[in-house]
Amino acid sequence: MFTLAMRTLRVRKGGFLATFVAVFFGALIISACGGLMETGIRSETPVQRLAAAPIVVGGQQTFELPEEDPATLDPDDKHKFKNVTLPERVRLDAALAARLRAVPGVTNVVGEVSFAAQAGAASALGHAWNSAALTPYALKGEAPKPGEVVVDAGLGLAVGDTLPVAAHGSVGEYRVSGIAEAPQAMRDSALFFSASDADKLSGHPGRYDAIGVFGGDVAAVTAAVGDAGIVTTGTDRGAIEFPEVATSGENLIVLAAVSGGLSAMVMVFVVAGTLTLSTQQRQRELALLRAIGTTPRQLRRMVLGEALVVGVLAVAVAVVLGPVLGNWLFGELAAHHVVPDVLEFEQGWLPATVAAGASLLAVVAASFVAGRRASKVRPTEALAEAAVERRWLTPIRLITAILCFAGGTALAIVTVAVMTGPVAASTAGPAVMLWAFGLAAISPGVTKVTAMLLSWPVRAVSGVTGRVALLNTRVGAVRTAGAVTPIMLAVGIATANIYLQTTQEAVSNQAYTEDLRADAVVAGPGGLDPSVLGRVAAVPGVASASEYVTSTVFVDRPYDSNQNDDGWPALGVSELTGNAVEVPAKLGRQVGDTLSLRLGDGTPVDVRVAAVVSQRAGFERLVLPASLLAPHTTLGLAPQLLVRAAEGIDTATLTSRLREATAGLPVAVGDRDALIAAHAKGNEIGAWVNYLLVGMILAYTVISVVNTLVMATAKRRREFGLQRLSGFTRGQVLRMAGVEGGLIAAIAVLLGTLVSAGAIVPFCLVVTDSLLPSGPIAIYLVVLAIAVVLSLVAILIPAWAATRGRAVDATSIGE
Amino acid sequence: MTTGWNETADAVRLEAVRKEYGEGVVALDGVSIAFPRGGFTAVMGPSGSGKSTFLHCAAGLDRPTSGRVVLDGQDLDGKSETYLTKLRRDRVGFVFQAFNLLSALTVEQNVVLPLQLAGKRPDKRLVARILTHVGLDGRRKHLPGQLSGGQQQRVAIARALVTDPAVLFADEPTGALDTRTAADVLGLLRESVRASGQTVIMVTHDPVAASYADEVVFLADGRIAGRLSRPTAEAVAERMTHLGAWDRLAVQA
Repeated sequence: MFTLAMRTLRVRKGGFLATFVAVFFGALIISACGGLMETGIRSETPVQRLAAAPIVVGGQQTFELPEEDPATLDPDDKHKFKNVTLPERVRLDAALAARLRAVPGVTNVVGEVSFAAQAGAASALGHAWNSAALTPYALKGEAPKPGEVVVDAGLGLAVGDTLPVAAHGSVGEYRVSGIAEAPQAMRDSALFFSASDADKLSGHPGRYDAIGVFGGDVAAVTAAVGDAGIVTTGTDRGAIEFPEVATSGENLIVLAAVSGGLSAMVMVFVVAGTLTLSTQQRQRELALLRAIGTTPRQLRRMVLGEALVVGVLAVAVAVVLGPVLGNWLFGELAAHHVVPDVLEFEQGWLPATVAAGASLLAVVAASFVAGRRASKVRPTEALAEAAVERRWLTPIRLITAILCFAGGTALAIVTVAVMTGPVAASTAGPAVMLWAFGLAAISPGVTKVTAMLLSWPVRAVSGVTGRVALLNTRVGAVRTAGAVTPIMLAVGIATANIYLQTTQEAVSNQAYTEDLRADAVVAGPGGLDPSVLGRVAAVPGVASASEYVTSTVFVDRPYDSNQNDDGWPALGVSELTGNAVEVPAKLGRQVGDTLSLRLGDGTPVDVRVAAVVSQRAGFERLVLPASLLAPHTTLGLAPQLLVRAAEGIDTATLTSRLREATAGLPVAVGDRDALIAAHAKGNEIGAWVNYLLVGMILAYTVISVVNTLVMATAKRRREFGLQRLSGFTRGQVLRMAGVEGGLIAAIAVLLGTLVSAGAIVPFCLVVTDSLLPSGPIAIYLVVLAIAVVLSLVAILIPAWAATRGRAVDATSIGE
Repeated sequence: MTTGWNETADAVRLEAVRKEYGEGVVALDGVSIAFPRGGFTAVMGPSGSGKSTFLHCAAGLDRPTSGRVVLDGQDLDGKSETYLTKLRRDRVGFVFQAFNLLSALTVEQNVVLPLQLAGKRPDKRLVARILTHVGLDGRRKHLPGQLSGGQQQRVAIARALVTDPAVLFADEPTGALDTRTAADVLGLLRESVRASGQTVIMVTHDPVAASYADEVVFLADGRIAGRLSRPTAEAVAERMTHLGAWDRLAVQA
C-alpha cells in the first residue's frame, strides 16, 4: 500500500497541500517551543563580569523542601524533597575566601561584591577595584583611593571629573581617578571603588556575592568549599553572575510546554480535518479500490502511508526552520523582559526530535480518524453518481463526546467546589480542550441543529440564495462541520485565554488596591536608607509611614502542607518589630505560635505569630517586620516607603512636602495612582506572554481554516456550475456561498463561545463570584470579527474563482 | 486454467435473493438464477428494475436481505467484509461505466493493482499478453487522463482479467462510449469468453450491447422476467418494450 500511497501523492499533490501546511506550521511551533524549553532547561548564560576567573564559587541558591511532613514519616521511609530556588541572592562569608587561599595550587582568590549604583543619570553596578581582575578590566589612570572611583569607559567620563554616585540609599561625590575598559561587551556598566568605600556602599561588608579562584584544581576547591557554597566552571559560572536566570528559566519551560502542548493538540484536530476532507474528496476512488479488492485494513494503511509521507516532508522542513522561529520568539520575550537578555538561545537536536516525534504522532492520530472513515467507504459507492453523505453520529463519536463533556463538567465542579483564588485558572486550559473535543466529536449533528436554529434569521434577511445555503449547510453537515471545528477551537481558545487573563489582572489589581492604605509612595530603586523613614514620618501632614519590602519566605516548621515550591509571598512593614509576624488564616496557626521560617536568601529565622488575618483567596501572604525582611533581600534595603496622609491633607500637598523633605536623596515621590499603575505594569508581562501564545495558536488555526475552506470550496466547481445552469446567476451563487460562510462563522462562534464559557464561568465564579469575566467586550467583538471575515474570505475567493468561465465547462464529468 | 476452479458447474448462483432498502423499498424480489461457466450473459431491464442491485449482490459488493449467493462455489452468506473483499480480489473482475481507474497510476500500474493488493508479484509476460490482448501494448506508461474513453475501458477490462477471475462483472461498460468504441469494447469482452472460456455477466440497458451476449436475462420490478438465447438487438428491444406493466417506461429506457 505504501507504493500506492507514494504514487497517489506524486500525482495528487494539491489534495495534500492542506495537510502539509497544517503539519508544517504545527511542527514549526512545537519545534520553536522545544527550543525555548531547551533554552530554559540549560539556562546557559555566558559569563561577563566573572569571565577571567576559571573557577567561580557562588552561594547555595537552592534548598530542599520536604514533600511530606518529616515529623509524621517513619524514619525508614524515603524522604522526598523538591528543589526550591531561593529568590534572593545568597552571599558567601569572606572567611571562605581566606580558606580558599590556603588550597594548594591556588594563585589568587578574589571576592566580588556587586551593588546597584546610580552614576549621575546612568545606572551601573558598583564593585571594589581589587575585583576588576575578575573580568579583567584594563585601567587607564590610577586605582581609586577612598573618595575616588574608576569608571567604565562606556560612561564617557574623564579622569578628574566629579561624579555623584547614589548607592545604598545615599548620594556621595567621587573623583574619577581612572577609566576601566572591559575586554568584551558587558550588559552593565561598572563603577570601581576603593575596598573600604565598596564595603560601605554594598551594605554587606564581609560578605561576597561570588568568589573567583585562579589556579588550583576544581576538586580541591570543591573540597575546601564543602557545603558553604557551590563551585562552578565554564558556562555554569553564568548562573552565579546572573542568579535571576534560574527562575526565568523555569518560567520559560512552563511557557514553552503549555504552548507546545496546546499546538500539538490543535494540530490533531486540524490534520484530522484536512485528511478527512481529502479522503472525502476521493470517495469514488476509495470505493473503486474497495470494489476491486482492497481490504478496509489496506485502505487504512494507505491513508496512514500518505499522511506519514506528507507529515515527514512537512516535519523535515519545519524542524529546519524551527530554530529561526524559536530565536525570534526568544528575542521578543527578552525584549519584553519576560526572560533576561543575558540568557542565550540554545536549540540543539533534541527539540527537533521531540517536535518531529510529537508531530508525527499527531499525524498518526489524525490519520486514524480519517482512515476509519475511509475504510468504511462502501464499494458500491464507486457505481453511484453522487457521493452519499456519511452518517453523522456513530457510537464512537457519541462516547467520545459524553466522556469529554463529563470531564469538562467534572473540572467545572472541582474548580467551583475545591479551588480558591487565581490558581483556579489551572483547570481552565484542560477544560477548554475537553469541551472543544466533545463538541468536535458530535460537530456534524451540532452543526445541523444550529443551522436549523439559525434558519429563521437567515430566511428573514435573504431570499432563495439563503434557503439554498441553509440546505447546503444542513445536508452537507459533515463537510460544514470540518470548517466549523477549527474556527470553534480558535474562538474558544482565544476567548477563554484572553478573558482569563483580563479577569486575573482585574482581580489582582483589586486585591492590591483593597490592601493599599497609602496615599503616597517614596521609592528608591537602589534602596532607601533606614534614616529616611524617620525623616518622612516627621514631615507635617504625614499620619504614618512604613517601609515596604516584598520577598518570599518558606515555612520550615511546623510542616506546612499548603506550601509549594514558590513559598509564601512575604511583605515587610515597619509597623511590626522584633520577630512578630502576621499570618493568613489559611496557614492554620494561632496567635502566639512559633514558626521556623527560611527567608528569601535561605537564612533560617524563628518568628512569633502576632496576628492571624483573613486575606483574599489566592493573595495570602505573610507580613514581617521590614527590619527583619529587608536585610535578607538582594537589595538589602526597603525599596519603597508608603505614606498615609493625616486628616485634611490632600495628596498634592503631601507629595510636594515629601519631595521637599527628601530633596538630595536618590528617591522619587509618587501618589497612590502611581503605585497602582506600577502594580498593573507588573501584570503586563504575564498578559503579553498570554497574548503571544493565543496569537500563535490563532495564527495557526487561521492558516488551517483558510486552507481547508479554500480546498473544499474549490472542489465545488461542478456543483456551482449546475446551479448556474439551473438558473442561478453568478452573483446569486456567490451570495449563496457568502451566506454559507456567514453560517459557518455563526455556528463556530456560537460553539466557540460555549467552549470558552465552559472554562471561564467556573473560574469567574471562584474568583469574582460573577458569571461573566472582567475585561473589555471589544476583545470578544474582535475575535468575532476575525472569525466572520475569515470564513467569508476563505469561502468567497475560491467560489469566485470556481465560477469564472462558462458554467457548462464546470459541469463536465472528470476528475 | 483449472487451478482454483471449483468443480461446480455454475460460476454464480443466486437462490431466492431478496434485497430491501430502508422501509419497504424492494429492489430484488426473490431472484433465483444460475450462470454457467464460460458464458456471456447480459442482464437487462428498465431503470429501477433492480439491475444494479442484482450485480452488487451477485458480486458480493452488497449483502442480500435474504436468500443465498454462491460465487465460484463459495456461499457468501455470513462471510466477513474482509473475506468478501479478498474473494472479490482473487475471483471477481469488475468493469464499471466510468471512473474505473486510479488517475494517479499508469495503465500498467492500474492493471496489476489487484495482484499487488493480494501481495502477489505480477507476471510480466502475463501482463504484457493481456495488454496486447486489449490492444494497449504501446500505452502501458500512459496515465488514464491521456487515454480516450474506449481505451480507459480496455484498461479496466485488462485489470479485470489479470487475476484470471471466475466471473467478470461489467456494469454498463459502454454507457459512456460512442457506438463505434462501444462495439470494440463489447467485441473484446466476447472475445475473452470465446478464446479463454471467461465467464462474463454484463448489466446494460442497451439492446445493441446485449446482442453481443450468448444469453439475455430480463429483470423487471426486481424479478426475472424472462430469458433470451442468441439474442439480436431487435429481439431484445422488442422484449424490452413489453416488460411488465411499464411499457412506456421501458421504451424510454
